[in-house]
Amino acid sequence: MRGATPGQVAAAALIAAFLAVFLVLPVGTVMYVAFTEKGTGAFTLVNFADFFRTELFVRSLWNSVYVSAMSVVWASALALPLAIVTTRFAFRGAALVQTLGFLPLIMPPFVGAVAMQLLFGRNGSVNLLLDEWLGFKVPFMEGLNGVIFVQSLHYFPFILINLSASLRNIDRAMEEAAQNLGSSGLRLFRRIVLPLAMPGYLAGASLVFVKVFDDLATPLLLNVKDMLAPQAYLRVTSIGIADPMGYVISVVLVVASVGAMWLSALATRGRDFSTTQRGGGGLARRQLSRGEAVLAWGAVGLILLLVLSPHLGLLLLSFATVWSFAPLPDGYTTAHYARVFGESSTYIANTLVYASLAGAIDVVLGTAIAYLVLRTRLVAREWLDWTAMAALAIPGLVLGIGYLRCFYGVQLPGGQPLATLWIMIVLALAIRRLPYALRACHAAMQQISASLEEAAENLGADKARTLRRVVVPLMTGGILAGFVTSFSTAAVELSATLMLVQSNSDAPLAYGLYVFMQSAAGRGPGAALGVIAVLLVAACTLAAHLVAERDHRRKGGSA
Amino acid sequence: MQTRRALAGAISALGLLASMQGADAQAGKVTVVTSFAKDVTDPVKRAFEKAVPGVVLEVQNRNTNAGVKFLEETRAGNQVDLFWASAPDAFEVLKGKKLLQAYAPKATGIPEKVGAYPINDRDGFYFGFAASGYGIMWNERYARANRLPEPREWQDLAKPAFHDHVSIAAPSRSGTTHLTIEAILQGEGWDKGWRTIKEMAGNFRQVTERSFGVPEAVNSGQVGVGIVIDFFAFSAQASGFPVKFVYPSVSTIVPANVAIVANAPNRAGAEAFIEFLLSPAGQEVLLEPSIRRLPVNPAVYAKAPADYPNPFTDPRLGKLMPFDADLSESRTAAVDTLFDQLVTFQLDALKAVTKALHDVDAALARKDNAAARRLAGEARDLVAAMPVTAAQAASPEMRAAFAGGSTKGARQAELEQQWAAFGRERYAQARQKAEEALKLAR
Amino acid sequence: MTAAGISIRGVDLSYGPSRILRDVSIEVAPGELFAFLGPSGCGKTTLLRLIAGFAQADRGTVEVGGRDIGRLPPWKRDVGMVFQSYALWPHMSVRRNVAFGLEERRLPRAEVERRVDAALERVGLAALGDRKPSQLSGGQQQRVAVARTIAIEPKVLLLDEPLSNLDAKLRVQVRRELRDLQQRLGITTIFVTHDQEEANTICDRIAVMNEGVVQQVGTPIELYARPANLFVAGFLGSANMLEGGLVEGGRVFQTRGGARVDVPAGTFVPASAKLVFRPQDAALGPVRDDALGLSGVVVHREFLGATVRYGIAMGADEIAVDAPFRSGDALLDVGARASVTLAPGAALFLGP
Repeated sequence: MRGATPGQVAAAALIAAFLAVFLVLPVGTVMYVAFTEKGTGAFTLVNFADFFRTELFVRSLWNSVYVSAMSVVWASALALPLAIVTTRFAFRGAALVQTLGFLPLIMPPFVGAVAMQLLFGRNGSVNLLLDEWLGFKVPFMEGLNGVIFVQSLHYFPFILINLSASLRNIDRAMEEAAQNLGSSGLRLFRRIVLPLAMPGYLAGASLVFVKVFDDLATPLLLNVKDMLAPQAYLRVTSIGIADPMGYVISVVLVVASVGAMWLSALATRGRDFSTTQRGGGGLARRQLSRGEAVLAWGAVGLILLLVLSPHLGLLLLSFATVWSFAPLPDGYTTAHYARVFGESSTYIANTLVYASLAGAIDVVLGTAIAYLVLRTRLVAREWLDWTAMAALAIPGLVLGIGYLRCFYGVQLPGGQPLATLWIMIVLALAIRRLPYALRACHAAMQQISASLEEAAENLGADKARTLRRVVVPLMTGGILAGFVTSFSTAAVELSATLMLVQSNSDAPLAYGLYVFMQSAAGRGPGAALGVIAVLLVAACTLAAHLVAERDHRRKGGSA
Repeated sequence: MQTRRALAGAISALGLLASMQGADAQAGKVTVVTSFAKDVTDPVKRAFEKAVPGVVLEVQNRNTNAGVKFLEETRAGNQVDLFWASAPDAFEVLKGKKLLQAYAPKATGIPEKVGAYPINDRDGFYFGFAASGYGIMWNERYARANRLPEPREWQDLAKPAFHDHVSIAAPSRSGTTHLTIEAILQGEGWDKGWRTIKEMAGNFRQVTERSFGVPEAVNSGQVGVGIVIDFFAFSAQASGFPVKFVYPSVSTIVPANVAIVANAPNRAGAEAFIEFLLSPAGQEVLLEPSIRRLPVNPAVYAKAPADYPNPFTDPRLGKLMPFDADLSESRTAAVDTLFDQLVTFQLDALKAVTKALHDVDAALARKDNAAARRLAGEARDLVAAMPVTAAQAASPEMRAAFAGGSTKGARQAELEQQWAAFGRERYAQARQKAEEALKLAR
Repeated sequence: MTAAGISIRGVDLSYGPSRILRDVSIEVAPGELFAFLGPSGCGKTTLLRLIAGFAQADRGTVEVGGRDIGRLPPWKRDVGMVFQSYALWPHMSVRRNVAFGLEERRLPRAEVERRVDAALERVGLAALGDRKPSQLSGGQQQRVAVARTIAIEPKVLLLDEPLSNLDAKLRVQVRRELRDLQQRLGITTIFVTHDQEEANTICDRIAVMNEGVVQQVGTPIELYARPANLFVAGFLGSANMLEGGLVEGGRVFQTRGGARVDVPAGTFVPASAKLVFRPQDAALGPVRDDALGLSGVVVHREFLGATVRYGIAMGADEIAVDAPFRSGDALLDVGARASVTLAPGAALFLGP
């Protein structure tokens, strides 16, 4: 850890410039309204005073904090068992569980919510059956608790994926030493394994917190409006009213999100988590006894059934003729797939291109930022981190508007506006999903002992070569986790895309889905497209996990 | 290494493909930004491209809000020829921002008004191509399971039987819902109209943020009854959903519109599209089961199925009230914000009072009690009370507060705080009185 | 602390097709400092992990203090292990690391603190208790790892290559400290190493292992003087090995080069045995023409101070002979012929 090299300064400057051009500038041009007086445009802070004077907004702020915190609790409860069973035991189908446990993150817009309502809504399958057999209903999807329920199901994979990567990185001697000293079971987990996996857990948990805090789609679909993100959205998108309040709330969202990230960084600061002293290893995978195996499968099965039920609903919906006020559809048909078959190939190709490019940009940026923050002494390096993370809190719509405002005036040589190029969709997706990849890369790098790099430098590798030959290979798990998260969530992103798509031939799957989901007859085809999107992303995720497993074995991790 | 390179090659090849597809600038391309679903745009696109050979209709689906923002942000290098959507207020905003191009359609046989609403913009900036009426849609299975009576009028929805079973889109989010609320206010007067709206709102299950959220919830049976625009119900019926629909006697028939965007790159193509939409051939496309909108050319109804509603001849749809578009426009923001602050964001409080009042009514029906009746009446008045009068709502100061002007009046945020506080206090007091009444009546 | 013996009987262990341990039986006496010595991959670490409970035997038993612990999970074995990487938990201070095992035993707080102090005192780290492991040098980390293990006063102590992460100078010092500590505690200790010098200098007895099989168990001197086979002879110290066979009814061993060595009566010579002797057990002399003994040509000469090591070519073979050096001695030159005489009893006939 010496002074910064010119290469590091250049890298930092490049990243800063990228973030400035594609995040700060577009968002700034839209959000500065928050600081102006309506009508005159003069600078003022009165809007923020208004925010804190308005009962609705203050209530929304507290509701958002409450819902986010509770979602982290429930998401942890879902993620912990899956992460432990798949990383600490010789559990057949671990890759499958990791893939399936990841699927909830890939919730196609609109149609996913319809499927959720059909299963868990007031008159969803579960409640209709409960009412018929037992004479009562459970308000799964009502009010703030409903939001917590849906959000924990939806976002728990953030914890699963980051925690699993972290668990895999722990040198097995760490665990064995504790067992040798008489520790076992839950105590061992609580005192040794969990603390060592903290970077991954916190990375996941803080993502869940911030994502729930900033998510507007779920509360709106459950008709919960007294939360901050929906309030911002409702304000920003109301037609014909020049209201700065929406942007004021957006600023509050950004500040709160960065604050939450800062707190989670504070929790791990000054502490050493690098356990890979021998460059890998990983936790020992214990054999399960027959009884334990039954228990493990039972727990995993139950959790998967719960978290995948929206996707089961989606699958049913895609084959359903009519499904209304009934536990199951009235009849089944494959007509919906036939209807979307022809046009989906363009959507699929576009989705793959956009999402994989965005994912690739994200892991490159994420690794670079994590490296600069953790391994150099550059001035203000944390600001790169904070800025990139702030993207989480920017509503996609605001980013989309910002891109149009900043880049539509820029003409290409052919007279075509820059903003109409499909690459702008990729950049918007990359910016929006950068925080996911960044957190994963950051956690992975935190677990690598600096001595491994020093060894490489000692043997004559310069900084860049060390990064490429030692650090990046050791981070493979984390980088992969970051890529998969960015890729798959980018594949179903809609809000910024909706602003930037210029023609059907440039449109990704999520847009095609949106187009269908605006009419009664489009519900089935929309669900079919949703299933295709999920399968597509799941296949890519499974492939990534298989690569990760192979990589893990190659490094001598499994026993 | 090899595989990685191959993968990278494949991805860049795919990217190239996508960019090549995106670059085709065909001479006869007409670009339209629309909020309509694929079920509507696809048949029209097919018919239009058949009727005008050599033309390609490029459809960009965006919700109305995103569409308006898109045109605003891209005005410098506009690539869009047409804006095509339901909500008349969106067109008003575009017109106000000088984003539309005036035009005089040549199509004949289209009357000046449908119901009480003028079909075309009086300044010639946008044109109605289809009519839609607001009404009540309900799910038959849901109604049977919850023993709901068949609704006929708006007031029916205020009855105790419908408590917690009704859904509506927020008027601030849905231009057509806004027109329905405005129609009730104009038909019954400011104070009485709000009383009706709030009594009905006390039975709301939810106030959705998307127009389509209401029919979606009714279709899947999550909500029993929805206040929706007719074609949502008709197309749901066409898709086989167990839903029914009725026009109440006080309803609005509003046109869905199309307009040419200012500086359209293909102006001739845009005009051709409008002419096609308004021609008999274009009007007939609206009769398709997946679209089911009401043509604005009365002659086309000759080709419609027998039970097709006809706003030009149907006695039920004919009994329509006059509609003052100027008045509506002058207080749009105020009405929407009042609804948001007094209903949407305080729905729980409003529902609690309403529930208590339903209970009082039930108790009084068994055993009358004058004191309880008086308290319940006071509670109802408290609920119905409005923080502003009709005159204030349409005043220039009010408009300045929302649109932002140089006049130094109250800020929108201040008005919202005041109105929310007003509603919160009144609802709390009303609830207290209603509960007292309930004790007396029992 | 009463020391417990360790008794390993007939242990087999395989990972898939590869057999890691084959019929291993070892008895470690109470209070002994015992070494598992062998090249890497010989199974010594696996055997250590088996005792600690991190590996399961396919067959055979492991007893500590007369009690079969083969079915116990690691945390119930009361067998202290110091890991090669030390495995200090980075999120805990030195004190918390050392206290861990005591806390797991639910000892009263005061007792825990007292024993942590004692353990840190023993390894000379009393002043560094509040540091984090990453703030310590390699030697200090090693001592924390030892302190953490002895704090729980285990029945036996297992050391997995404890010196491998230290520099050469430190290694000599630390191995003496380990020996002293073990003597003071009187604790039965197994020390895994691939370095014969480490094993020879501090251990009471050594088990030499190769390819999962125990080759020989004995004191360092026994192993050196009486290796059981060619592997042991070669692994401990240097040895000359000459191929050949028995002639004259088994009374004489004739090397490939034709030299003949008498086989003492009653000596067992295994099949395909070689003639083995240590360089210092041979002496060089003038060549006698009629001699049938060993002789050859000096091909190189290394002056080592106390001794001179000669390389003698004998046909296809080359052997080493160490001659003691006293001032004034004349040395043989390269190219000179010399005969080689073996000290009585120095010739060993060992099989593989």
